[in-house]
Amino acid sequence: MSGQVAAFAHNARWEVTRLRRSRRIWLLLIPVVAGPIGSGIADLYLRVPSSGTAEVLGFLITAGLAALIVLDLTALAVGEDLALRTHYLTLALPQPRASALAGRLGVVAGGSLAVYCAGAIGVAWLATALVSTSANAPTPILVPAHLAVGMLGLLVFLGGVTAAAGIVTRSASQALVAGILAGVVAAGVGSLFLIQGHLTWLFPEALAAAGLVGFGWCLVQYGRIEV
Amino acid sequence: MSSDLLAVDGVWKRYGDHDALRDVRFSLRSGEAVGYLGPNGAGKTTTLKLLAGLSRPTRGSVRVQGLDPVRDRTRALRHLGALVETPGIPPYLTGADLLEYVACVKGVPAGDRRAAARHAAEMMNVADLLSRPFGSLSTGLARRMLLGAALVGDPEVLLLDEPTLGLDPAARHDLRGVLRGLSRNGLTLLLSTHLLEDVQEVCGRVLFLKNGALVGDEPVNLDPDSGLGGTRRVVRLRFGSDVSVESVARAAGSAFGVTLDSPRQATVRFSGGDAEQGRLLAEVVRAGLPLVSASTPEPDLARRYLERVGREDPT
Repeated sequence: MSGQVAAFAHNARWEVTRLRRSRRIWLLLIPVVAGPIGSGIADLYLRVPSSGTAEVLGFLITAGLAALIVLDLTALAVGEDLALRTHYLTLALPQPRASALAGRLGVVAGGSLAVYCAGAIGVAWLATALVSTSANAPTPILVPAHLAVGMLGLLVFLGGVTAAAGIVTRSASQALVAGILAGVVAAGVGSLFLIQGHLTWLFPEALAAAGLVGFGWCLVQYGRIEV
Repeated sequence: MSSDLLAVDGVWKRYGDHDALRDVRFSLRSGEAVGYLGPNGAGKTTTLKLLAGLSRPTRGSVRVQGLDPVRDRTRALRHLGALVETPGIPPYLTGADLLEYVACVKGVPAGDRRAAARHAAEMMNVADLLSRPFGSLSTGLARRMLLGAALVGDPEVLLLDEPTLGLDPAARHDLRGVLRGLSRNGLTLLLSTHLLEDVQEVCGRVLFLKNGALVGDEPVNLDPDSGLGGTRRVVRLRFGSDVSVESVARAAGSAFGVTLDSPRQATVRFSGGDAEQGRLLAEVVRAGLPLVSASTPEPDLARRYLERVGREDPT
């Protein structure tokens, strides 16, 4: 067990080094900074009628930015080494493979979710500060708090699909495309449910479950890769 | 308990309907340096992948220090360094990043990782380049850094796949020197290569692989005429003026077999090493023979390679 934990920790640190060296680490600032600022500007420009609607708008913007980050970082964490054949070196090292990849995915997926949460908190604060709800304001199309939490399910789904696609395609770019397509499908299905009035907690829960299955499958298959 | 550090026992590896390896068996004892020769596609890299835990045999078993390198990866690979094919490293990573990561995974204590990385890089003469990203290194320098990664943590077993590929002559020479030094210090080495010179200079034993099957397992240095393993040595003596076979034989003594190739050239065969060769030369000079030069004949490894493997030309 200690070997698994050590491999997780070593590779989490390795992923941080890679993010730092490639400067991709700056991407993690985007949802935190651009999410609230962008949604704040949109609130003022569009003159949204209520802070609830402003929150919905802001959560969608911030989650969209976080989705791009989780897609990009996950695709690279899984697919970059496989495409470059770095795994000819790293897979011959004395460590459990699944734990090693879990350490790297923990940083990118966990980091993306964390910055989304930070951005969402900023959005909620700015929406309250910038927008006053008028008396005849319509009810937001979604409950803001529900949307904020539900978006976590979408992000986990996108990360899981991208990670699994990285194993299948052994390519970061193709994994990214697969993740984007999955995101489009999820957004389409979610919109359909919303229009039909069937959008419930089940949808983000199902997305999160599918994402976790994707991550799990990715870790199992990574342990079995033959070169 | 077996002293075999590497053991390949009846291994078959099948890709689709093609057998990349067919009933390959060999073992390496502690401290052995073994060359692994064969043409392209013979299965050399496949064998190394199996030993490095990168692949599983279809049939048979592979053991590293008595352990399965796939099932017991963490323990089996702990003291193994491997460079299989040419891994690509993301261009933004530096040599120090990679070598320190390898040190970390190999269990080098946190305080010693930087020193371990530097030590390995120094062996490959790239310590000054540790802070440079891989993207700014030439192919040869990147290759040397990767070889450094294989040497991190002072492995007991080293698997190298075409290690001198892409290296300039000086770097090749240096690498051979490093490998000879490590081998003298007890490192067990399996060296897969096309370059017979690498094997000749570094290894004591050579395996020939052809179409996935082992077709030869013998010492690197053989008496070219004996066709058998042994420690017989052949020295060619050139003289400044004509000599007779009797005069050379008398000077050399009864332990040395002398034949005259021409009036000014004799071939001497004997059992022994450098000490016996030195004694031979001293006696020839003491006898007043006009010795100009002494050389060992061209190695017969190329000839043996062609005999075992066929006409696919070695480099």
